[in-house]
Amino acid sequence: MKQLKTRNFCIIAHIDHGKSTLADRLIQLTGAIKGGKVIEQMMDSMELERERGITIKAKAIRLSYQAKDGITYELNLIDTPGHVDFAYEVSRTLAACEGAILVIDATQGIQAQTISNVYFAMDHNLEIIPVINKIDLPSSETEKVLEEIESVLGYKSEEVLQISAKTGQGVPELLETIVNVIPPPKGDLNQPLRALIFDSHYDSYMGVVAYISVFDGSIRKGDKLRLMGQGTELEVVSIGYFDPKFCPADELLAGDIGYIATGLKSVGECRVGDTITSLENGAKEPLIGYKTAKPVVFTGIYTTQPEDHGQLREAIEKLSLNDASFSYEPENSPVLGNGYRCGFLGLLHMDIVQERLEREFDLSLIVTVPGVKLIVTRTDGSQSMVVNPSDLPEPTELLKVEEPWVKISVITPSTFIGPIMELVTQSEGIYKHTEYIGHSHSPDALGQRVRLEYEIPLRSMLTTFYDQLKSRSKGYASLDHEVIGYRETKLIKLDILVNGVMVDAFSRVVPPDKAHEIGKSMVEKLKEVIPTQLFKVPLQASIGSRIIARADISARRKDVLAKCYGGDITRKRKLLEKQKEGKKKMRNIGKVEVPKDAFMSVLKMER
Amino acid sequence: MSDIKAIYIHVPFCRRKCKYCSFISYQSRECDIPVYLDAIKNELSLRSEDTVINTVYFGGGTPSLLTSEQISSLMSAIKNNFNMENGSEITMETNPGTIDLTYLSKIKAAGINRLSIGVQSFNDKELSMLGRIHNVEDALNAIKDARKATFDNLNIDLIYGLPGQTVDNWKDSLLKAVEINPEHMSLYALTLEPEEPLFKEIESGVLPEISADTAAGQYELAEQLLEKHGYIHYEISNWAKPGFECHHNLVYWQGGEYLGIGVAAHSYVDNRRSANTTDLDRYVESVSHNRLPPQEVDETITPEMEIAESIILGLRLCNGIDIKDFKKRFNIDIMKRYGRQIEELLDAGLIKKDNSAIKLTQRGRLLGNEVFWRFLPDKV
Repeated sequence: MKQLKTRNFCIIAHIDHGKSTLADRLIQLTGAIKGGKVIEQMMDSMELERERGITIKAKAIRLSYQAKDGITYELNLIDTPGHVDFAYEVSRTLAACEGAILVIDATQGIQAQTISNVYFAMDHNLEIIPVINKIDLPSSETEKVLEEIESVLGYKSEEVLQISAKTGQGVPELLETIVNVIPPPKGDLNQPLRALIFDSHYDSYMGVVAYISVFDGSIRKGDKLRLMGQGTELEVVSIGYFDPKFCPADELLAGDIGYIATGLKSVGECRVGDTITSLENGAKEPLIGYKTAKPVVFTGIYTTQPEDHGQLREAIEKLSLNDASFSYEPENSPVLGNGYRCGFLGLLHMDIVQERLEREFDLSLIVTVPGVKLIVTRTDGSQSMVVNPSDLPEPTELLKVEEPWVKISVITPSTFIGPIMELVTQSEGIYKHTEYIGHSHSPDALGQRVRLEYEIPLRSMLTTFYDQLKSRSKGYASLDHEVIGYRETKLIKLDILVNGVMVDAFSRVVPPDKAHEIGKSMVEKLKEVIPTQLFKVPLQASIGSRIIARADISARRKDVLAKCYGGDITRKRKLLEKQKEGKKKMRNIGKVEVPKDAFMSVLKMER
Repeated sequence: MSDIKAIYIHVPFCRRKCKYCSFISYQSRECDIPVYLDAIKNELSLRSEDTVINTVYFGGGTPSLLTSEQISSLMSAIKNNFNMENGSEITMETNPGTIDLTYLSKIKAAGINRLSIGVQSFNDKELSMLGRIHNVEDALNAIKDARKATFDNLNIDLIYGLPGQTVDNWKDSLLKAVEINPEHMSLYALTLEPEEPLFKEIESGVLPEISADTAAGQYELAEQLLEKHGYIHYEISNWAKPGFECHHNLVYWQGGEYLGIGVAAHSYVDNRRSANTTDLDRYVESVSHNRLPPQEVDETITPEMEIAESIILGLRLCNGIDIKDFKKRFNIDIMKRYGRQIEELLDAGLIKKDNSAIKLTQRGRLLGNEVFWRFLPDKV
């Protein structure tokens, strides 16, 4: 039976620990692609995409592997996103597999996010194959990393494979281990269909393409299906898998990993984590509890030139077809005009969306200070969610404010505990727990590695927290976080006035005892980033009508090209054209030209 | 049919490159001058045209590295290929470290009737900071000799906005200049490019930063002081006694046609702006084989761009843009076409307007770029 010869697995790895190199090596060593032909076949696949005008990401690759026992196995390698913002996507990918290769860098050791992914895999009863990668590097510290793995994750040295994905050393043994250790999929072909969506993307040619792991039953082209969580109904337009070429197939059976094209118009209708079943006589229970990943970071997005607003609307609508985890709602700023209040899974997610909007849709954007979603209770007892600082009620109307907190886990050499503790305290965090990793019999100049746990307001992580963590630990510390719930807090709204005009895009909520300090550094930072204007510009920070800090930008006095060398008018004009282009990256606020970068720069303040 | 009025000849050689210079000039290649001059003569004949010119300008580099005989032969070459009007303005740039009375007398005889002396500063410390090959005394002698050689149309160049230069330092240089009483003065603010030695010295902290505020103060001082001494501020960087405005420069500002001959020389002919290669060897190689040199720049000026340029260049002149002339030339009402920009600029106090003309204000002259970019056409 085919299912017994199938192994579904993913690779858990911290960024740069070698996930892609290992994947390439596995592809190369298995039967799907013969030795030197890797690149050629990849190219074929891309050409096909181009011809059809479609883009298909090889999110799951089917490999054919002949093991030492003489049996040819079908291995499905599923790709996982590597960042904590996408923890939910990672968790669904893990849920689609029976096993995971845990890759740890021999030069870096265990990182914070790796641990939470491993715990999650354990929760789902995945068989984990721990692997130390990069053992070929002179700076590798295999012994020390083995100790860490034993102390934190409980795997004995002899259970851990030592490989170099780059040279191929140890990878054949890894393939054998995959076949021997990871169990085949347990589903039942004769039960009603149940398939888990672990990724999806929108394609203008085929509609939403869902990447699925079929647990029970089977799917054929033309089948009428239903999503158990969302209730969406759909018909299978096409079906197949990747080897890594795009390979249409007749059907996917229990135990298979592949894709279905649904013809749906938006990934929002076909979300990751939902269970697919047949429209008629479907399954009773979904595979895992379905929930949607909820945005936790919010920001206003506007175009630098107000007349481009229509293009922004179109771009956001298009992008959201392909990204179900970001939310948007129209909003109006007195200063910036029409824009959107957008929600993201985290700062990285926010950066990705902003970059895609700017690059793929050729827009110049203003992104306002990111904030969290507050629960606000008014004195009249009414409760509401506030994501825009401008909507925070006046202090007299405010009974209670609650904000989201996160549990963070930091792994660092012990030398840096002091500076990190100080950072967490400044960020209004609370210490919870310390755990030593590995044994102290191989001491290190930087001390033994520890895992620290804290709780801090999510708001504190939206400024320079990560950068400071990195700089205070000389780059050694790694960070993981998860939202743990809402807690009551004291917050007030801090406003910034540019040339006497209140700029809501700079407004943010801050603790009252820090308002003065934050206001002062904000106006000083703005003084640096806003260029001199044709007149003197006052910058003020205020709470309500009270001005708490001020800095002035002096008037520009000189800006003119002097010499006309031998009639070189072209060069002069080019410089002026550049100046004119530069103005497009500015937003006029109260006659002041504010560069778009100014809006984000106020966050990057050293404290 | 072109209507070339001006010829510019570039002499790309210097004894030593100044530390602030971004112009095309080669040091240690003076031995190539004869070959280069032959190439120049070839280019003149390649571009020969039956048109009447009234100004020639020898710029550099250091044109005064040429012998008077070489100047003479270039003058003949120009006259052989173009019709030169009687009383044409023939300017030559000179470095005070390269000239004496004998030389000046000879080039006067060769036809040079306007002398531009690169004084740059009347302060020895500043001159050595700039990497000039001469000192103040050399400059004073050069000016004296120029008068003795009967040059009655003299320009001196001065630079302000130097690192560490105070308004008072600048005032000293200016007072010295007005005492000498040249017919024309060009005052340039130091502008540096990243590859220049002076830029690097500032960046590495060897020299203090240039203060734009001080430079603005220095410019305002020059405006007052030169006006008091009878100079007309006829262009952003140029002052002249009445009747001594530089015709050659006016051709540039007024949108006239000009021909640039030699390495890196720019031309504006038949609505095309072009420039020869900046590479001396490539230039000589092409031209000595009777081919026009490779072009560094070659662009057609669209009617829309021509309008924009005429405003940008025209506003540099103290007479500004004559509204009626503009209408006559382009058949466009400038107030209608650029109403919004003009309104904004009037509001900001950068331009002023009466019934006949639009001009920069004193403040606008210092913030010219803020005025000019607004008149550029939108990119398609």
